[in-house]
Amino acid sequence: MKYILLFFVLWIQFNSTAQVRGVVFGSDTTKQNKLYGARIETTVSKIQLRTDEEGRFEFILPKELPDTLIFSARGYISDTLILDIDDRFSNFKIVLYSALLLPEVIASYKKDSKSVSKLKTLLVEEISSDELRKAACCNLSESFETNASVDVSMSDAVSGAKQIQMMGLSGVYTQIQFENIPYLRGLESAFGLNSIPGTWVNAIQITKGTGSVVNGYESMAGLINLDLHKPFETDQFFMNGYVNHFGRSELNVHTGIQLSEKWSTSIFAHGSTLNNSIDQNKDGFKDVPTGYNSAIFNRWHYQGDKMEAQFGVNAYVDEKLGGQTGFRSFEPGINGKYGVMNHTESINLFAKTGFFFKGKPYRSIGILYNAKYQTTNAQFGLRKFNGLEKRGYINAIYDDIIGSTIHKTRVGLSATAVQFEQQQDSLSDDRLELVPGAFGEYTYTGVRFINVLGARLDYHNLFGPVFSPRVHSKYTLTELTDLRFTAGRGWRVPNYMIDNLSLLATGRQWVSPLEIKPEISWNIGGSFVQEFKLIKKKASLVVDYYYTYFENQLIVDRDVNLNQIVFRNLSNNSYSNSLQAELSLSPLKVLDVRFAYKYLDVKAIYNNDLQTKVMVPNHRGFVNIAYKSRNKRWMVDFTTSVFGSSRLPITELPDLSVTTINRSEIYPMISAQITHVYKRFDFYIGGENLGNYTQKSPIIDAQNPFSTTFDATRVWAPIVGTMIYGGFRFTIPHVEDEN
Amino acid sequence: MKVIISVMFLFFAMTVFGQKGTEEIKIKTTAECNSCKERIEGKLNYTKGIRFAELDVPTKVLTVSYSPSKISLKEIKELVAGIGYDADEVKAEKKAYNALPECCKVGGM
Repeated sequence: MKYILLFFVLWIQFNSTAQVRGVVFGSDTTKQNKLYGARIETTVSKIQLRTDEEGRFEFILPKELPDTLIFSARGYISDTLILDIDDRFSNFKIVLYSALLLPEVIASYKKDSKSVSKLKTLLVEEISSDELRKAACCNLSESFETNASVDVSMSDAVSGAKQIQMMGLSGVYTQIQFENIPYLRGLESAFGLNSIPGTWVNAIQITKGTGSVVNGYESMAGLINLDLHKPFETDQFFMNGYVNHFGRSELNVHTGIQLSEKWSTSIFAHGSTLNNSIDQNKDGFKDVPTGYNSAIFNRWHYQGDKMEAQFGVNAYVDEKLGGQTGFRSFEPGINGKYGVMNHTESINLFAKTGFFFKGKPYRSIGILYNAKYQTTNAQFGLRKFNGLEKRGYINAIYDDIIGSTIHKTRVGLSATAVQFEQQQDSLSDDRLELVPGAFGEYTYTGVRFINVLGARLDYHNLFGPVFSPRVHSKYTLTELTDLRFTAGRGWRVPNYMIDNLSLLATGRQWVSPLEIKPEISWNIGGSFVQEFKLIKKKASLVVDYYYTYFENQLIVDRDVNLNQIVFRNLSNNSYSNSLQAELSLSPLKVLDVRFAYKYLDVKAIYNNDLQTKVMVPNHRGFVNIAYKSRNKRWMVDFTTSVFGSSRLPITELPDLSVTTINRSEIYPMISAQITHVYKRFDFYIGGENLGNYTQKSPIIDAQNPFSTTFDATRVWAPIVGTMIYGGFRFTIPHVEDEN
Repeated sequence: MKVIISVMFLFFAMTVFGQKGTEEIKIKTTAECNSCKERIEGKLNYTKGIRFAELDVPTKVLTVSYSPSKISLKEIKELVAGIGYDADEVKAEKKAYNALPECCKVGGM
């Protein structure tokens, strides 16, 4: 008994100081045993240790995160694991496979460019910078091409705006954050991803379903976390130039400076421009809007013994000009052409501070701050929108444990203050929102079972208290099989004007909602991850299903009549079902193949009938083939996506009859890219829409853009054909401390 | 579409023909970790005459495919030694070895 007690005391002690711990097992075909003397090291912080007789290891979480853990043992294939702040109390079970299992293959460690984290409680898909490089163009909303969970669609045929969707639900229901700071909110939630260049991003984490309560209440269909290059790991100098055959050119320059042992900073600058008018389908409208975009991002990082801090600023200007090719000015009577303009300016300030407690590494206080100012002025023909947003946000999080790291808690307080001014012609939507909130989250970490229970209560000055409970569980069925379950409630306050800005590109009148009410949804879902060997090569299958149900949703009803678009609140009659399966294989050492399929069923009451939401394809699938030569200097990537048919809104034609074909065609999208790597330079060349598929007349009544039958919102396929691009990257890498 | 197929074909043809007149050898090194792997592969894969170099960390065996008309086996081993690792009978250069981070040194702790 005494020994048991002693064991417990030791064990709790062990838990309270050891932040990252686990057991390493070695596995051959028949059995698994604990590995003594397996080597563990981290690449950034250069921690090194070996496992004890019981295969155990433990160490204090390094300060610089994320870090890569490498596990190796003689006779076993090495494995690696990305370690980040979320893993700080994790209890890892690491299985190394015997090298004898693959006798003819000289095993080499290969980082999957897209992987599903097996260790997180939530099903988190990670897109690494390798994956982002597969599609060199351009900004983040375009970088989800090889990801089945996120769809990208064009919202209208004139403004060039692209929007993401998850589970068939508009991107506004997906919360976007930048390293856990809620980002691209409010006026930016619909189109904000356009403002972030792909080269800034180190990795993207996609969580399906509601996210952690710590990050706020707005993740309804999903959560996208952007992990940008950190100041202390940014290349000393990086330059990327891109040009496509339509004349779009783009330049990105990054620099990272290690100022001292504790201070580092990075600057990212981006500029892109397109001046050529392209009108391939000869409808008199530019197929791609002209314009420019410039963005700058500067961040400072301080790493001290007791605290870590970072702060920075991100600012951008984006201007797009679309519409008829001869368009010069909105001044009436100049030449009577239809023009489209969108001018957005935004500045974001952010800061993060973290305080540690000496000798108690499981305890910390983190505070996030964010302030933003944005203006958006848009015009579609004679229809105008002016928007202004001022936002302040603070979130304080306290991390601790109860007894041991098996029971972890996170509690905190947050507050948001935001002022909106939005006008669309005679309609206006001005609001001051003050939302203080409190949250708590409890995590139980067992050997095979992890459960996270969270809840937050926010008090909205206009709508009163709103409660958001959430559950995330993970059960490790076998070493190669994971089951996950998630359920939760999320909400947001809609900005119906900017969320649906593209619907100004039509002659239809807007009917504003009677009142602005929060949109509230429940999401419930589960996933199944199975890893296996196929022809002795690693393969994985991920199947997930999610159901989203809206207690209240501000729906866009285009079925009420032919001349109006009606915005109205709908209670309890809107849902989405999303089923997805993804199979990844490496048939050859140099080849990765991925198949994905998604089924979407998104319905709501439109004009008194339960109908499918317009513009959401019911099926989508893709095949991605990636080749990387053995010397890693040639990369070829080839993707074919197929988009299923979607319901289209019934629309009045110029002769005042109505459209009879109200479903879109099934169409393919093919893209490919070849990259060649030199020591400092990478060169790439690629093409999009290589099948040259375009929608025949994307604009209805393009000859009379000021008439009531003009409609540029019925766009479901590309407007431009094949696009060829090329570019380079030049890197002077970050110098690692070589002690 | 035709363009891609022909480009891909060309590309694979290149890889296939590229193998002509090359030799594959295995060299035992003193590499310890993945950081060593990056160092060695990063150097060799950008060296003229070497088609590819892959290090297997657990066995410390470096597989190199090269064309003997452009680079000799001895030169390859000297390259590896120049980074700070033993390559079969060629011992690591002292200076380079001393400059390696702790984890990459023999014993690795």
